[in-house]
Amino acid sequence: MAQHLTEQDVRRMAAYTRIGLADDEVPQMTVELNAIIDGLEPITEYDLEGVEPTFHPIGDLSNVMRTDAEVPGFSQDEALMNAAVREGGSFRIPRILGGGDA
Amino acid sequence: MEFGCRDIASIQAGLRARRFSAVELAESVLARVHAQDVRLHAFLEVTDELALRAAGRVDSAIVAGAFDELGPLAGVPIAYKDNMNLAGTHTTCASRMLENYVSPYTATCVKRTLDVGAIPIGKLNMDEFAFGSSTETSAFGVTRNPWELDRVPGGSSGGSAAAVAAGMVPVALGSDTGGSVRQPACFCGVVGVKPTYGVVSRYGVVAFGSSLDQVGPFARTVRDAALALNALSGRDPLDCTSQECTLDFTANLAQGVAGMRVGVVPAFLEAEGLSAEVKAKVEEAAEQLSRLGATIVEVELPNAKAAMSAYYVLGPCEAFSNLSRFDGLRYGYQDAGHDDLGGQYEASRAVGFGPETRRRIMLGSYLLSSGVYETYYYPAQQVRTLITQDYVTAFEACDCILGPVSPTAAWRFGERSDPRSMYLSDMFTVSINIAGNGGMSVPVGVGAHTGLPVGVQLVAPAFRDANMLRVAAALETVYGPAPTAPGFASERAGD
Repeated sequence: MAQHLTEQDVRRMAAYTRIGLADDEVPQMTVELNAIIDGLEPITEYDLEGVEPTFHPIGDLSNVMRTDAEVPGFSQDEALMNAAVREGGSFRIPRILGGGDA
Repeated sequence: MEFGCRDIASIQAGLRARRFSAVELAESVLARVHAQDVRLHAFLEVTDELALRAAGRVDSAIVAGAFDELGPLAGVPIAYKDNMNLAGTHTTCASRMLENYVSPYTATCVKRTLDVGAIPIGKLNMDEFAFGSSTETSAFGVTRNPWELDRVPGGSSGGSAAAVAAGMVPVALGSDTGGSVRQPACFCGVVGVKPTYGVVSRYGVVAFGSSLDQVGPFARTVRDAALALNALSGRDPLDCTSQECTLDFTANLAQGVAGMRVGVVPAFLEAEGLSAEVKAKVEEAAEQLSRLGATIVEVELPNAKAAMSAYYVLGPCEAFSNLSRFDGLRYGYQDAGHDDLGGQYEASRAVGFGPETRRRIMLGSYLLSSGVYETYYYPAQQVRTLITQDYVTAFEACDCILGPVSPTAAWRFGERSDPRSMYLSDMFTVSINIAGNGGMSVPVGVGAHTGLPVGVQLVAPAFRDANMLRVAAALETVYGPAPTAPGFASERAGD
C-alpha cells in the first residue's frame, strides 16, 4: 500500500475539518485513508488530455433567479428551536474574541 | 391481506367502496409496524399522530365524494428515509449529530406525497448521512433484512427497502447517491427507482453529494413506483436543478417491450466479483425480454471501470463541503463545557459523527486540498465527461440497458468490515449517478445458490425514465410483483 498521507497530514486534516481526533485514533485513520486512496488510483491513469470536466449532470444550468418578492420565512422561534443554547432571541456561543488572559 | 402488503389500486378500491375507512387503514398499518418492527428496526420514528390526522382528511374527502380529487397517492401509507425533513418529526440521518433535531419544515418530495393524499407512517433507518451500503453505519442500530434476519438489507436506504419488503408500507422513499435506492431494493426483493437527476426536487433532503443525490420510490409493483413518481416529479422553485416534468410515468407500462432495444454490457457480465447466481439472473432476464419481443443488443461502456474511483473522489468531496454545516450551534449535537468556539466545534463533530462519516469528510478535505485536487478531483470530473458520453453513445443503439445491481445477494452482518470491500458492492450502480441517468432495480426472483432475492438493473437515457419502467413492467409479467418477505407474509385472507 502506498503512503499517500502521513499521520501528520491526517492531524492537519482533522484540524481543518474541525473533527477532534484523539491521538490514538490517528494511526488507524491514516491506514484506512491510505487504503481508500489506493483504490482511487485508476483515476490517475487515464489520458485525459483535452477532455473537458463535467461538474454537474445538468450542464447548461446558469444562475437561476427568482422574482425579488417577499416570501414568508422562519419566525425567530422556529429558527432557534434546534439551538443547543439560546439566549433571548440569539444563539449563545463561546467567546470568539480575546482570550482568558486578555 | 395486511394493508401494507397490498398495492395502491387495491387500497384505493377498498377506500372508494368504503369497505374500510382511511383511519381504520392507518390504525391497522401502525399496529403492524409497532408489532413487526421490533424484528427489523426499519423505523426510527413512527408518526402515529400525523398518520391518523392525514387519514382523517382522506375520510373527509371520501364522505364529501372528493376522494378521486386527492391525487395518485390518496390513502396510501408511506414512510420516508430519515434524511427527509417532515415538519414536527425528527430528521436524524441516523446520526448522533441530529439525534434531537426536529424539522421546522417539510422537504418538497415529502410535501408532494402528502399533498396528494398519502398517509405518513414514519421515518426510516439508513446508513449515517447515507454513507454506506448496508445500513450498518446507523448510529441507532442496524436494520435487518426481512428475508433473513442475520443479513443486511443493503443501504444506504435499508430501512425503506425493509419496510416495503416486510409489507409494513406499500411505498417508501429513499435517496440514491451511488446506488442507495437500487442496491437495498435488490437485497430486499422490491422495486426501487432512482430517477434521472433533476426529476425530483432535493429541497429539504439532507445533502450528501449534491450533483449525485436523487430521491426515488420503493414499492412492490412497478405501477406503484410509477404512481409515486407522478407525485414526486416536477420543477420546484426551491431546487434550481429540478426540471419541468409533466410525464405520466404509468402511461406506457402495459405496452410491452416488442420493438424495444435492450442493451447488455458484456464486460459487466464478466466483471470480477460478480456472483454466478446474479449473472445467471441477468442472462435469464435478457432471455425473457427477448422472448417478449425486445431486441437484445450488446453495448459498451468502456469508461465504466473508472466510475468507482471517480465516485469515491466526487462523493467525499461533495460530502465534505455539505457536512461543514454541522457546527452544533444552530442545530445538531453540541458538546458542552467548552470555553472556546474551535474546541467546541471539534468536540461536537468528533462525538456527533460516526467513523464512516468522519472518514468521508476527511477524505474529501484531502482530495480537495491544493496539489491533490489536480491529481484526483479534476480528473474525476473529466472522467465524468467520458462516462456520460459512453451512455449517450450506448443509448444510440438501445432504449434501455439491462445489467446487475449488486454483484452478490445480501451479505451477513459484519461480513464486510473493511471500507473498500464495502465500496465494491456499488460497482454497477455508481456510474449512473455520475452520468445522471435514471436507473432502477426490479426483482427477478431468488438466486439459485443463496435463495435470496436478486434484482436486475435497468438504466434509461436521461429524462426517459419511462423506458426503464416499461421494461420493468414487462419483467413483472414474468416474475410477478415483489412478494412480501416469507417471514412477514400474512396468513389472513383479505376482502
